[in-house]
Amino acid sequence: MTASGEPSRPPVGDDAALAARLAARDPAALREAIARYAGPLHRIAFRMIGDPHEAEDIVQEACLRLWDHAPRLAARHPAGTPAGASLRLSGWLKRVATNLAIDRLRAARRLSGEDVPERADEAPLADARIETDERDAGTRALVLALPERQRAAIVLTYYEELSNADAAAAMDMNIKAFESLLHRARAGLRQAFAAQGDAR
Amino acid sequence: MSATDHDREQGAPIAPGSALARALDAYAVPDLSDGFADRVLAAAEARPSPLPDLRRTGGGGGGAGRWRLGRRIAIGVTCFGALATAAAASGLLERAGLPVPSPERVWASLSGKEIVPQPVAASAPAAPPPADPAPVALAPVRIEGAIDTPEELAEAFRRIDEVRKGRMEQRRALIDRRIAEELERRRAAGLPVPTPEEEASARARMEEARSRREGLIAERIARRRAELEGRVEAGEALTREDIFRPLREDRRALERRERIERLQRMTPEQRRDALRRLPPEQRRELMEAWRARREARLREGVPASVDVPAPEQPASETDGPAAPEAQESPAPLSPYGTQTPEPPR
Repeated sequence: MTASGEPSRPPVGDDAALAARLAARDPAALREAIARYAGPLHRIAFRMIGDPHEAEDIVQEACLRLWDHAPRLAARHPAGTPAGASLRLSGWLKRVATNLAIDRLRAARRLSGEDVPERADEAPLADARIETDERDAGTRALVLALPERQRAAIVLTYYEELSNADAAAAMDMNIKAFESLLHRARAGLRQAFAAQGDAR
Repeated sequence: MSATDHDREQGAPIAPGSALARALDAYAVPDLSDGFADRVLAAAEARPSPLPDLRRTGGGGGGAGRWRLGRRIAIGVTCFGALATAAAASGLLERAGLPVPSPERVWASLSGKEIVPQPVAASAPAAPPPADPAPVALAPVRIEGAIDTPEELAEAFRRIDEVRKGRMEQRRALIDRRIAEELERRRAAGLPVPTPEEEASARARMEEARSRREGLIAERIARRRAELEGRVEAGEALTREDIFRPLREDRRALERRERIERLQRMTPEQRRDALRRLPPEQRRELMEAWRARREARLREGVPASVDVPAPEQPASETDGPAAPEAQESPAPLSPYGTQTPEPPR
């Protein structure tokens, strides 16, 4: 495991072999995939949602989708071929988890009928978090106050240390659009951080 | 600091160790709950197997497929309509036996009104005469009653030529067949047959005689036709007999000619008997006529032996309008019943 908590990168072509085992419905392969990728996925989901249970649901759904799509992935990326060497399950899973988190945030916004606040998060979820954990309340408020896509950009690039290109791929965006989104996210984050400091 | 610089600074990467970075780093993530992997495995085993892939719809969903199908149907209907309109406008449907109602007829069927044919406008300009008379000349000429126009006479000549051409071909085929049969008969009987060189020489002489004869006939036909055309241009109406009978000859010549033709159709014995039964003066007259014809032919350089093959059928026996020119050259016949020798074999 690296210093950032990232599991060591699997050897080239190992993801293709893992996908082949998943396609063969090997439970041990699924357990190995969970052990290898569930941690990063959980971090992304938790920092996007702010709720540990929903984050676990997102990770579980992402792993199950990997289980479902494994035959197709294995067919497109056979082990021992250049296509198999190009398979990166971590990128695939991060894209799935990010999209699931954005979908949940949008669904929650639709159900609540309120817009996600741009500058200050007044949502009950954030308030509850702030009340229960005053130590990182300010940080959560900073991140959760961002719109969902800007939040995802900060989570992927700052916390997960993905390159702009990988983060853009995880969000199904082109690099220019992602850099613009990331620029707005950082600016919003700094303004919120400054406002928080002024409030104190 | 300008607004642009300020904006750029606001969007700059978060420097590690900065106040913002320290604040963000405080966002700790709890661990996954115990037994997470087991729950996922249990859910995976309980998960129904994924459905097979839907049939490829070309990148769109079912709705897009329906729209695409509808568009194709619309394009097909439009193309069919355009083709049907073009076919109706060009008259293709009417040629194919499909009646195309006119707009007036369709409207009348809808409104229940009868179609009143519009009278021909009196002020309508008369159709201009065709600039090129060639199409009129190419129209088939019908011969009604007596022949009194050059067009009808030309049409009669054309029909005669057509019959004559077919008859000549029949004669030539008949001659060839009889020569072949005779050669076969002689071979079967062990009789001497001409060598290929002799046969070729004989055929060449026959062809030469035939060409000469046809040339003479063509000259007579030309003279005869010029005479008939002159009569028509003078306003005379010609009948069938005027065309099919020679007009230069007098009645006696005509009778003599018919008698020769009758004799030609007889067998040599019958011919000999018929000549014996004739009155002496008629028999003498007939012999003189035959000699005159024979001498005339000899003067023209036509050997009597190859003039006309003996088996040739007289022209008057064939069906259809007989060519007068063919009747002018009966086969040479000896009044004593000795038939003209056959061509050399």
